[in-house]
Amino acid sequence: MGAVSEFPYHWDADELVSRRELLQFAVYTSGTLFAATTLLALLGLIRSQERHDVRPIARVGEVPEGEALYFRYPDPDDEAVLLHLPGGRFVAYSQKCTHLSCSVYYQPEHTRLFCPCHNGIFNPLTGDPVAGPPQRRLPQIILRQEGDLLYAVGQVP
Amino acid sequence: MVRPEPPPPPGQTPVVLAALTIGVLLMGIQLWLLTVALDLYLAGQPREIWRLAAVSGLIFLGGLLMLRLLRRRPRIQRQ
Repeated sequence: MGAVSEFPYHWDADELVSRRELLQFAVYTSGTLFAATTLLALLGLIRSQERHDVRPIARVGEVPEGEALYFRYPDPDDEAVLLHLPGGRFVAYSQKCTHLSCSVYYQPEHTRLFCPCHNGIFNPLTGDPVAGPPQRRLPQIILRQEGDLLYAVGQVP
Repeated sequence: MVRPEPPPPPGQTPVVLAALTIGVLLMGIQLWLLTVALDLYLAGQPREIWRLAAVSGLIFLGGLLMLRLLRRRPRIQRQ
């Protein structure tokens, strides 16, 4: 009797999961996975329709060739980097590394964008990952030049 | 006292087991599709995700259909 009071479940009363119940559970899980994929598609659609502000970043002469200027775009918490590449071209990227969101920095001596957390390296011309753990390119900030002023007008994820 | 479910009709057990096995495999594919969708979302290519959602939805519909086909029917009482 002591054993019964310690473990008072009888085999007959124990709940058995039948194959059909398991199949039913699998179908419900399948529905949840489908819902999650659809949710991601919807979130992506909403994100692609977001409009960003047009904001002046710097005057052309403020950033010498081969140098970088750090600024914030599109939100005050979003760090970004403007590069004046050799050859005179300007490009801007989000500073958030696509691996684990550390800040990337421009290293003019190596002509590369470097993430010090896990040694991730990005191509400053395209933002593509070149070495290290990152697999996706850096989100690019679209620039527009009006006179000697550079404006950030949007972001390409 | 909970009475255990009666065993399925003869020949139904392997069918249910096969459905279960295929269902679990397809669920694995759905999980993989979800990870690919997340990667595409983070990469900013949302248009591609709709295709993955469509495939995932088809798998789900297939599962519902299978569940309906394998619905338990009352046994025929033979004399």
